[in-house]
Amino acid sequence: MMTAPAPARPFGRLLVRATAYELRKQVAFRVGFLVREVSHGIVEPLVMLWVFWALYDSAGEGAVLRGWTFPALVQYLAGLLVVRKVVFHNRALDLSTQIFEGRVTKYLVMPMDYFVLAVARFTQYTLLQLGIAVVTWCIGAALAPEHWLFPVSWGALCGALALVLLGSWCCFLLYYVLNALAFWLDVVWSLLVMAWFVVSFAGGAVMPVSQMPPALFRVLEWGFPYWAISAPIEVLMGRLGAADVVRGLAILAATAAGLEVLRRVLWRRGLARYAGVGM
Amino acid sequence: MSGPQEVVLAAAGVHKRFRTFERRKGLAGILGNFVKRDWKDIVALGGVDLEVRRGERVGLIGANGAGKTTLVKVLTGIVPATEGEARLFGRDSFALRDAEKRRLALVMGQKSQLWWDLPPLDSFKLLKEVYHIPAAAFDARVKEYSEMLDVEGKLGIQLRQLSLGQRMKMELIGAFLHAPELVFLDEPTIGLDLVSRETIREFLVRLGREEGVTIVLTSHDMEDIEETCERLVILDRGRVLFDGELLELARRVSTRRSIEVQVDPHEPIDEELLRALIAAHEGEVLQRSAHTLRLRVGARALPELVRGLFDVLAVRDLAVERQPLELLIKDLYRGGAVPEAARPERLPTVPARGPELSDV
Repeated sequence: MMTAPAPARPFGRLLVRATAYELRKQVAFRVGFLVREVSHGIVEPLVMLWVFWALYDSAGEGAVLRGWTFPALVQYLAGLLVVRKVVFHNRALDLSTQIFEGRVTKYLVMPMDYFVLAVARFTQYTLLQLGIAVVTWCIGAALAPEHWLFPVSWGALCGALALVLLGSWCCFLLYYVLNALAFWLDVVWSLLVMAWFVVSFAGGAVMPVSQMPPALFRVLEWGFPYWAISAPIEVLMGRLGAADVVRGLAILAATAAGLEVLRRVLWRRGLARYAGVGM
Repeated sequence: MSGPQEVVLAAAGVHKRFRTFERRKGLAGILGNFVKRDWKDIVALGGVDLEVRRGERVGLIGANGAGKTTLVKVLTGIVPATEGEARLFGRDSFALRDAEKRRLALVMGQKSQLWWDLPPLDSFKLLKEVYHIPAAAFDARVKEYSEMLDVEGKLGIQLRQLSLGQRMKMELIGAFLHAPELVFLDEPTIGLDLVSRETIREFLVRLGREEGVTIVLTSHDMEDIEETCERLVILDRGRVLFDGELLELARRVSTRRSIEVQVDPHEPIDEELLRALIAAHEGEVLQRSAHTLRLRVGARALPELVRGLFDVLAVRDLAVERQPLELLIKDLYRGGAVPEAARPERLPTVPARGPELSDV
């Protein structure tokens, strides 16, 4: 059985097909889809709405806390509801489990880079969550237009979208790198939960980063989580301009490049340690 | 393109060691382990030499922990060798390029190659993209193989909803879809019923013979090996204990017989006469109790010995059967009966051990 040497071909078709299968997998179980994909990221902004309401109520009517009024914060939380859905979540990647259980073994004998399948997972996640985010935004805009966040311009929308997508890619790479530590450690899941919490906090999922103490803000504004979550919302609100978007994109691109190098190194070294358990 | 006798797989002095630490007992031990660990090396492979040529069907057997699966992992490049050299299609196994990987397939009986949440046909389509299989060849192979394995009606059902046997058949289709030249199968029939096992063996033999696929099969089931392979490699504690033709082993088996005699336990036995009779026919006592005697003897001595047994014992029942291959393999583990030609020169004498047959 002789196989004619297959011509070199980019993995675009594999990526498209793998993405399609990932999408099919997500919608195969309806309840799981509704709970995991649709309702994800809805609870925290609603809880924070009540927390901020209590804070501003106690501070007196028309209070401005570190540059933020209560109506502006409500708009921020509306933006958070939509933006956070799109930013890649650590639960969407199960690489560490695959390494622990030896399920990654099958890919190692295939003429492909496992990373293509992970990118398919990212693509599926992004497409699905973008769709859900658009629907969420439309429902919010229809139900509570006076409190809802409307982009100040198409330019702001494009800038915010670019920041969110590149920021989401950084999150994906960060979680990939942490997952790859499963070649060495058996506490990866704890690290992932910690990382998710840090990204959420540093990204402004609890409160706008610019509302945090100035010293902390000056540190966090150099991190990618801020530019992935908090900054895009402020861009949509018109609080940040084009120059900020460019700066944010530069920080995100540098972070992505650094994480990509780390990913390659860890993967290569990890494979040298891999024992292929369970086979 | 490669020649008919091309060496597709070669291992030279392959060692594989895993590092682990001694777990001490008790609470103090647990705390001690936390502070300081006494690391030790576990030798999984202790210098394996092996060559497999194109078109060969090789059975790899050994007791649990003998190193079969580790050897497969090293040969397929899943894990690197600690020492020595493993080469696949002439290239270092741990540095295979996509071109070599396209010529290779691995089926793991205990791990699914296909995507659990997808129907097999969807997984096959994904493999079509991975291996760049032309559409016409893909359609033809899916049809042919699913018919051969009798699963053509199950291709659209989610993999997780299929039975173990059906899943394994789908795994085989997936593995052979890209027309690999070399296929590793690690326990492909584990847990399957007789009919499924038979179907899978027929599938492997047919593809091996008709398509010239080189097959390396590890199994605990000797029937798998006997029906599928021509060559047998026995591993014991990380070393090759036997490497030779299965026919040669079978010939040795065919010259030996097992005799089981049921005797009246109330009748006295002249032990001295019995011992002399057995010794005169170069027999070997395998089991002895008040009412049962099991012997092993050469086929030529059988008629005379049986006559003698009837004279010496109050025989109630007597059964003769060919010595099963498993018994000979058990001998090999004990260090006896290894044909000189098949015994690797570097192999030291293996001390007696005697694993249970079920381990083989």
